[in-house]
Amino acid sequence: MNSYFSRQTTAIVLLALTILLLLMPIASYATSSPATLDIKLSLKQQQGEYHPPYVAAWIENQQKKPVRTLLLWRKEAKWLKDIRRWWRNVGRKDPVLVDAITSATHAAGNFPLSFLALDDKEQPLAQGDYTLYIEVVREKGGRALLKQPFKINNEKQQFTLKATSETNAITFTINPTQLP
Amino acid sequence: MNFKKSLLFCLAVAISSQANAHSRWLLPSHFSLSSEQGEWIALDATASNEVFNVDKALSIDALSILTPSGKSVRPSSTYKAHRKSVADYFVKDNGTYKITNNASASYFSSYKVADKSHRARVNKMELKAHAPANATELKTMYGLTRVETYITMNNPTENYGLEGNFLELHPKTHPSEIVEKEPATFAFTYHGKAQAGVEVEIMRDAGRYRNNPETLKLTTNNDGEITFTPAQAGRYLLIAEYQQDAKNKALADKEQGGIFLTFEAQLQ
Repeated sequence: MNSYFSRQTTAIVLLALTILLLLMPIASYATSSPATLDIKLSLKQQQGEYHPPYVAAWIENQQKKPVRTLLLWRKEAKWLKDIRRWWRNVGRKDPVLVDAITSATHAAGNFPLSFLALDDKEQPLAQGDYTLYIEVVREKGGRALLKQPFKINNEKQQFTLKATSETNAITFTINPTQLP
Repeated sequence: MNFKKSLLFCLAVAISSQANAHSRWLLPSHFSLSSEQGEWIALDATASNEVFNVDKALSIDALSILTPSGKSVRPSSTYKAHRKSVADYFVKDNGTYKITNNASASYFSSYKVADKSHRARVNKMELKAHAPANATELKTMYGLTRVETYITMNNPTENYGLEGNFLELHPKTHPSEIVEKEPATFAFTYHGKAQAGVEVEIMRDAGRYRNNPETLKLTTNNDGEITFTPAQAGRYLLIAEYQQDAKNKALADKEQGGIFLTFEAQLQ
């Protein structure tokens, strides 16, 4: 009796799992597959003494709450505070995140970057309004804070962020999910 | 003893009235720090009417640092020069530190003898014995003035160390989240209760190099609050003052609370 019961249970569970597995890809394509965010970052060539800039790029939602840090190019922790807005709103509140996304600084040049539109917990960003921030700070140099509002809404959008003292023109493209 | 008396007298003069005395302020080398192992800060203390150019060294015997865990500690070293005192402190723990240089509440009296003003650090009863018989315009004030600033290592905490007496400033906007072109709110209490009518002045750094000091003048509303928007990033000195009739009329005519708060408004 006991073994019969467990065999029957196993069969039901297996059947349920199979159905779920068959349904899952369809479900996620239809509702939750993330868009792709392409950023052609371009750090300006500078004259004189040059320290490669500290760079952070992140996304804030409509309530100005940070939802995703895309990249962080940095040196020792003592310099993190100089990436002012990112440090104030994002970095200092989440040391685990800082450790997870950190990478070394880069000298002037072009950096084609591509990200999935996920939040810091790797969940797709819900449809709605967001702002991309890019902050570039050089020791003994200048600082630039770039902002670009955008939408996650199944439509392709492309923006050109105007050149600043620290950056050349940057293109930012939102490629929505390709529906099957 | 004479030296000690003169020190007390200086203190009393400073307490007496901010309108007539130098501004007093603490200026930390950093308001916001990031570190894994800790960082040193230096702190200047001075009595000066120029924000933030030093003038007369302020005694920092009373300097106290309230750590994020709620302990009051002293700086690791101090030095008194002519124009400023300097304190050194190693900031190790995460969170917000409140740094104060407060005297305790005290009495201050003044009187005139033949048009000449005199001052004494005595209460109203003691003043009767202290002042000569022909003294006029006898006045006694009881008060406490706070000289304070906040610094934050990594993540901010609401470590405001409020005591519930005299005038106190409650940062509704955290001191490390004051940003240029964004409104910031401070609330004021007197003896622990929200106080309307507190006069507040906010002065931006480097007045020496401007014709217009651009001082913001505000008065607290019925909730004891002021809201202001720093036009630009930089360091600011806030001066707040409130006076009322003394509770114990036998010892003083008026009582007063004052605050000197140094803070920074960050870049957007």
